[in-house]
Amino acid sequence: MTTLILVIIAVVFFGFSIFKSKEKTKESLKISKNLMATTFVEVIGVMALVGWVLAMLPPSLIKQWLGNSNGIISILLSATIGTVTIIPAFIAFPLSESLLKSGASIAAIAAFITTLTMVGFATMPIEFKFFGKKFTLHRLWISFLAAILIALLMGVILG
Amino acid sequence: MKKLKNVIKENKLIFLSILLYAITFFVSPQIFFKSLEITKGFLIQMLEVLPPIFVISSLIMVWIPTEVITKAFGKGSGFKGKLLSVLIGGFSAGPIYAAFPVAQSLFYKGASVENTVIILSSWAVIKFTMFMVESSFLGITFASTRYVLTVPFIIIMGYIMGKLVSREDVLKELNNRKVEYKSVKDVLRELPNMNCGACGYKSCQDFAEGVMRGEVVIDDCAIRKRAKKTSSGLQERHQEE
Repeated sequence: MTTLILVIIAVVFFGFSIFKSKEKTKESLKISKNLMATTFVEVIGVMALVGWVLAMLPPSLIKQWLGNSNGIISILLSATIGTVTIIPAFIAFPLSESLLKSGASIAAIAAFITTLTMVGFATMPIEFKFFGKKFTLHRLWISFLAAILIALLMGVILG
Repeated sequence: MKKLKNVIKENKLIFLSILLYAITFFVSPQIFFKSLEITKGFLIQMLEVLPPIFVISSLIMVWIPTEVITKAFGKGSGFKGKLLSVLIGGFSAGPIYAAFPVAQSLFYKGASVENTVIILSSWAVIKFTMFMVESSFLGITFASTRYVLTVPFIIIMGYIMGKLVSREDVLKELNNRKVEYKSVKDVLRELPNMNCGACGYKSCQDFAEGVMRGEVVIDDCAIRKRAKKTSSGLQERHQEE
């Protein structure tokens, strides 16, 4: 679904570009090629590492860790797991649901989902390439902190 | 030998994973095949998402004038700029690593650090389609509370980042990488590719060829030069434009 939207935007924009100017379109293709060359290897490396970590760390194990603890430690633990992993939404949401049912706190689940999406530890090497180390590292700790605060507030409001 | 070292250094992630996979294969073939399968899933998604993202980012680079982006997302864009950044992120599609090329092209074209962070963060978190999935699994109260809390936090994060990291910090780091260039392509990769013409060449391609011929050095690029200027100088120049 999301990919379809992307492809449509790209095709429409590209069609407009060709229609307007062949020169500029050629230029843009050159830039795309450069982007691809710089990013692909990096992204493949990241994906391979994340795949490996996920295989070592199956959802059942994560569940065991987060399912029954509570308090600030479980929030920190789930935030950490959310930070270092990339889990596709179609696994993450059902997993969170079953975690909630098996006794995890609202705050811990909120921390898990928020860090999972917002704090990209695994994608750090890619972000380095695009924005440099200073930007990336600052963004990382600030988002981690924000995710914890969001989780705590969620716990207060819904808990 | 030195060459091999460089190749490994440049692709350390790939080499690290090959090593890990090799070890895993001997220790536990089961985990090896499972990791391969998960990675395959990621790669398929990547192949679907990244090509259109690259096309869109480079078209932004080529078509949208710097003034437009600076006005919409630059330092003085105010509340409107923030709102627009959240919306761009929210309506976008694809994983966070797809956001980097797009956000970078906007950044090069004048978006402020603050708004770049807002775009990246809302790209990652605020997704209208994901909201639906989240509320179906965890309940609409959970999902909407989380979204309502997250948006202000993203704005605050942008504000703090804008104070901590300057535009010049990022540009400097991006420009100071590696000085050896083997081909025109290598030089081009280090250039903003905005074809501004300020160096006297018609395009970045021509300029890169000039660098390879030794007619100019890469820091003769006007945009790179500007990145090295002091922060205050940089801002003044921006205001003049």
